[in-house]
This record gives sequence, structure tokens and C-alpha cells, in this order.
Amino acid sequence: MRNLYTAMILASLMGLVATAQADTKGKAIYEKACASCHNTGIANAPKLNDSADWAPRLRKGGMDGLYHSALEGTPMGMPRKGGFLDLPDADVKAAVDYMVGKLPAKVVSVASAPSAKPAQAAPVAATQAAPAPQAAAKPAAPTVNSFNRLMKPAGARNAPPAEDGIHDPENDGTLALQHPQQAYTGLPKSNAGNRVNWVASLNEKKITPRWDRVDPAAEAVVMDLDIVREVKGTMPDVLYPHKAHTEILDCSNCHPALFEPQKGANKLSMAAIMMGQQCGVCHGKVAFPISECRNCHSQKKAAPTKVADKP
Amino acid sequence: MGGWLAWLVLLASLALPGQPALAEYGDVVLNRRSEKEGMRPVIFSHWFHRIRFQCKVCHQELGFKMRVGSNDVRMADIINGKFCGMCHNGDVAWGPDRCDLCHSGKRGLPTGIYGGHETSGPGRW
Repeated sequence: MRNLYTAMILASLMGLVATAQADTKGKAIYEKACASCHNTGIANAPKLNDSADWAPRLRKGGMDGLYHSALEGTPMGMPRKGGFLDLPDADVKAAVDYMVGKLPAKVVSVASAPSAKPAQAAPVAATQAAPAPQAAAKPAAPTVNSFNRLMKPAGARNAPPAEDGIHDPENDGTLALQHPQQAYTGLPKSNAGNRVNWVASLNEKKITPRWDRVDPAAEAVVMDLDIVREVKGTMPDVLYPHKAHTEILDCSNCHPALFEPQKGANKLSMAAIMMGQQCGVCHGKVAFPISECRNCHSQKKAAPTKVADKP
Repeated sequence: MGGWLAWLVLLASLALPGQPALAEYGDVVLNRRSEKEGMRPVIFSHWFHRIRFQCKVCHQELGFKMRVGSNDVRMADIINGKFCGMCHNGDVAWGPDRCDLCHSGKRGLPTGIYGGHETSGPGRW
């Protein structure tokens, strides 16, 4: 009998230790990956300890909905796994459990499924219990009247092939294709296009694309010649670097079809570029888009001479 | 009455863009022949290829012209080792027997470059 008591006490202690470990792990993950937004509520993130923020979300999708939002991101701005794509799913869930565990009991119990367990147990129970209805777990569709409908919200960038709107999710091959976010992990970021700074990725040797179809050792013949084009308006002058272009392209890609290889022979215009001519053959389609004005218009003009300065 | 209805349908089709702009920047849909031949459209991902090869490999060695719509690629050419077939031969990359990896687009998508919302139309400027 005494042995039985000891065993029971030991078991309950071990249980406590396990819960405490899970809690500290969740806390550590939270502080690493989530705190920067969820402490202060940046971009409408539900704040830690704020029942009013969490209650509607819990009511909507329950714990499974929260897990799904944390793992897959939301159109509201939550990035996949908080932007830490290499975190295991279990760690992300632990962080969610930690955040929900901080809420008062009644918020959690009202929100969780009809089979509501006592509040503290709810997060753990939800992971083991049957999944909540799938419909509830799905993130909301992107809102039409978001801040700028021409710009993708953070949650809609770099969608996996099956969700990108052009791949057929019913096709078996679609599921075998690589996920852009997986390929972009660790690459320098940019604010447009693929959201990857491809030039920096190449310069920092984060990617090593082959120069030759079969020979991995072949290297580009780089021409280091900057061309400065003076611009009439108020924009800074354009500096065209041959170096960044010849590192990835062959001369014949641009000369002579797009540009005459002769100084002063090419009349460029932004209008033509926007129509997909000249630089616009690539910039705006695969190379960084023309919204990034200062990438090209990078040379500050000499200050104009004042009338008073003239003799 | 019929004309009126036609206008309404036209307006509705203009107001509702068919596809959400979620495609990755630089994704190309090739559907000049695929669907007529009973296959899904082909999707070419620039991002996937540019991590592995410099632009020059495809746009000079393989003979792909840079302008959208200027490349007339036939499956027979690919099987004979031209265009995509210079690498997609089971040697450098997967071979032409893996139909569903390339023919993976949604049916009905027109040929064109996708995900390039920054310059996609007069509404932008």
C-alpha cells in the first residue's frame, strides 16, 4: 500500500515536471520567435495576456485554428511559424500553448470545444483530442480592402505551389514541387518581387547557380564597366552596372536586340520600360521590378548652380 | 436585351480578376498547345531555376528568347533534347516522362508571365 502511494506521488510529480518543462520550452520559443510582435501587438498581433485579443480567435477556430494560423501564417500578417521556418511544428505549438496558458481560465474554457476541460488542461488536451472541424481551422480569405490591394499582405507572399492560384492542387506533381519559402530560407531579403535580393544572394555566395549547363566549374566572363546615364528630370541619374549583369547574363542577351552596343545610340524611356521594352524585358517580370526606383536611379546629381554664383 | 446581358457579363469578367495574385514573381504559364493536346498547362518557375542556373544557361545556351511569348516550345523538341530537353533528360534534371511535374497548372490559364503585379497593367501608372 505504501509503495502504491509512493508511486502515485512520484507519478504526479513527474507529470508536474513534464508540464513545467513544456512550459519553459514554450516560453523560450515565444521569446525567440513571437515576442517581438506579440508582446506589443505589432500588426494587430494578439498580445500576450490580453484576453480581449485572444477570445475571438479562440472562439473562431479553437486551439487547432490557432495552431494552424501559427504554422501556416495568416493573411492578416502572421508569417509562417513567425518567420522561423526551421522551427519544428511541435515547438511552434508549444509557443502557442504557452501564450494560451497565460490567459485567464474562463477565456480558454468558453472558447474551447464543447468538451471543454478545465482551463489549464485545455491546450494540452486539444493537441491529443480529435482535430476540430477543418473549416474552422482555415485562415480567413485575404481581405479585399486591405491597405493596398496591389501589394500582397505578408501572409500571402511566397505561397506554396498548391496554394499559389496557378498550380492545380489536384495534380499529384504539384505536391512534389519545392516550396519557395523553403528555397529562400537564409537568403537576403528585399521588398519586392520574390522578396529575395538575388544580387546580394549571389554576391554573398548564398546561392551558387551554374554558369554552364553541364560544367559546374565554368565561370562567367565578367565585365566591370559602369555606365552613367544623365536623367533630365529631378530623379537621380541612372548608374547601369555591367558587372551585376554579366555575372548572370551573356552579352548577346541584351546586345544588339535590346540595346545598341554604342555610346549614345540608345534612347531609353521609363514609358517604354513600363510597357515591357528595353530594361522592362526583365525588370518587372523576373529581375527586380520598377517600383524599386533607387536601385537604378542611384547617382546623386551635382547641385545646380545658383544664379547669384554666376559671374 | 441580349446585348445588355453581354455587356453585363463582360463587365463582371473585367471586375473579377480570374486568379488571385499569389503566384511567385516570374512564374510563367505556357498554354499555347498543352490544353488543346489534353494536358494541363506548363508552369515554369524562374525562382526555382535561377537558384540553380544563371540566366545565361537557358537564355543563351538553350536558346530561349527573353520576350514573353516568343518561344514556341513543342513536346517533340523537348524529347529530342532541345529547349527544356537539354537539361530535362533524366541526366541534369528529371526527364520528360515526369509529365505532372511540369504540366501542373490549372486548366484554362492563359499563357503569360504571372506574379509580376508591379507592372501588370495601366492601373499601376
